[in-house]
Amino acid sequence: MTFKKTINRRQLLKTSAAAGTVLAAPSILWAAEPAKPAELIVRAWGGPWVEALKNGVSDPFTERTGIRIIHDLTEDNEIQPKVWAAVAQNRTPPIHINWDTTTNATKSALRGVCEDLSDLSNLAGTTDLAKPVGVEGYPIVNTYGYVYVLAYRTEAFPDGPPASYHDLLDPKFKGRVAFYNDGIGFHFPAQVAGGGSLDGIPDAMDPCWDFVTKMKEQNPLLGEDPDFVTWFQNGEIDAACTISTNALGAKRNGVDIAWTVPAEGSKFDTDGLWIPKGHSESELYWAKEYINSAITQEAQQVWLDGLGLPGVVPGLTPPEGLAGDPSYPTTEADFERLIRISGKTQVEHESEWFSKFKQIMQG
Amino acid sequence: MRKYTSAYPALWRVMDVLEGAFAAVWPKKGGNYTPYLMLAPAILLVGTLVVGLLYIGDTSLRTLDRTTFQFSDFWTLDNYTRAFFESFTWTIIWRSLMGAIIVTFVTLILAFPYAYTMVRTTNSTLRKFLLIALFLPFFIGQVVRAYGWLIILGNQGIVNDVLGLVGVEPLRLLFNYPAVLFGLVQYMLPFAVLMLAPAMTAIPEEIEAASTSLGASWIKTMTYVVIPMAKPGLIGAGLVVLTLSLTDFAMPAILGGGTQDFIANAIYDQFFRTSDQGFGASLAIILIGIETMIVGLIFAVFGAGTLELGSNDS
Repeated sequence: MTFKKTINRRQLLKTSAAAGTVLAAPSILWAAEPAKPAELIVRAWGGPWVEALKNGVSDPFTERTGIRIIHDLTEDNEIQPKVWAAVAQNRTPPIHINWDTTTNATKSALRGVCEDLSDLSNLAGTTDLAKPVGVEGYPIVNTYGYVYVLAYRTEAFPDGPPASYHDLLDPKFKGRVAFYNDGIGFHFPAQVAGGGSLDGIPDAMDPCWDFVTKMKEQNPLLGEDPDFVTWFQNGEIDAACTISTNALGAKRNGVDIAWTVPAEGSKFDTDGLWIPKGHSESELYWAKEYINSAITQEAQQVWLDGLGLPGVVPGLTPPEGLAGDPSYPTTEADFERLIRISGKTQVEHESEWFSKFKQIMQG
Repeated sequence: MRKYTSAYPALWRVMDVLEGAFAAVWPKKGGNYTPYLMLAPAILLVGTLVVGLLYIGDTSLRTLDRTTFQFSDFWTLDNYTRAFFESFTWTIIWRSLMGAIIVTFVTLILAFPYAYTMVRTTNSTLRKFLLIALFLPFFIGQVVRAYGWLIILGNQGIVNDVLGLVGVEPLRLLFNYPAVLFGLVQYMLPFAVLMLAPAMTAIPEEIEAASTSLGASWIKTMTYVVIPMAKPGLIGAGLVVLTLSLTDFAMPAILGGGTQDFIANAIYDQFFRTSDQGFGASLAIILIGIETMIVGLIFAVFGAGTLELGSNDS
């Protein structure tokens, strides 16, 4: 039997088209990704913060995409006016991604300088914590939460952890307690400690200021994140209202320190990532990819192990020693002890709160 | 006859070419304007400052809308009203002003004998030592020096360690007003000495010798001859120290423990912490106003001539 296969013109075209599609498929898929920039600039906090980000997010991103990540360690407060000015003047912003406090980032969102991040595919796998409160959509993606714990030197509290901020009014702690120099983290517990309720925020905060006035008699030190670690290390203070990461940092440096959530509760807040407007399409695409990669379970596990903070994707394993810790809330019961106020309320009133706190403390 | 090929050196020829080129772009008639041309860098510098000041002045008249974080399109005096009615503003102005005055006074008292010894000593080793000690701090930034004091005066610092040897409990030497003033005096001392030394050099030693030979004691010579003749240096040094102290940021921030803010710290907070550049700019304008008044007052009392800036009009 002879098998005579004839190829007509229609078949030839069909076959050629199919073969062409198969051969061209990788390049079509490749074309879906815009050209890669050589590098992306991510603003970050220094020390252990940037190390954790590098290990958890930046290095794996570079490995996967070949895009170099440069960490700009300009302070978040100082980069903000530069970004705002660049967007207002239609210039390219100095950074591609801003690692920022959600409160600060909310100001930028309200000003309209943030790109929309609602289309990030990995958002589907995140918890409610990833969504910023008080703004439309996702101009910011929250990446983890943190607690302003009451950290203390165990040697100074031999009978156990301080149960309340009232315990710090003991004369023996005069000059031995510390707060942030604008009072952040302390305003809300002080409202409760002064006999007020959280519903009184922001309109009826006299109890807060009464308690701050009482605390002023203790001559507290006022500082920033690095100061707390230094002060604990140098034995300058016995207790401080600070972010748990600082307390953890001091502990990892060998300082005999512990922390607690006092009876008044502790402020819970979040940090996030956002992209300023004004970048090219391709840079925007890859900057979004960077943030998308930061909210995967693998990235969060490594990043937040370094920071000792709870993330925004389910199923993370707490770092050693932090399971069940008040600074690492994961269950509803944990969150009941924490105070969370909307970012919008905070940005609208923080200036007056900061001024009032300084007025009392420096008066 | 020997020919002197070097009679008209090559460098002169180069200068001729340059002069010719300059004459081509700057005609002879314009020669009268040359002094004004030389003022150009100064005008550029002052002009840049004035433009910046105008920008700050404009910002100070705009209020921040905290729902959009945009500044108002219209001018208003609200930021100034807020500044004048907030007691905190007066607290930091008073603290800064008093601090600057105390620091100036103490610095001049310490700088005077230093500068006098440095200028008058016949011991070259001592003069070299004093010169090195004067210039060394300029190589170390203000922040580094402030951190140095944290190490020396801290609870676990050298001073408390020494006190501990004689049974004294650790003292809180840092994070208070005296610590800030102490840091400022240490920072300002080289500036003051540097301003005083030329004034001291300008006083002929023979005048001091004449005073002594006429029977004046060393104290009288100092009081009635040296100090009055050093007045231009004292006023100049005082002005520099006063204005630098009044506007200082780092010492109150680092040695004050967050409780001893000066005006500059408050301005920083408004610009970078609360994003209210309008209010921050109004504080900056108030600070500039205070400084201008102080400098104007000093000129009015002592006369610009005291600084050897022209004829003595005092």
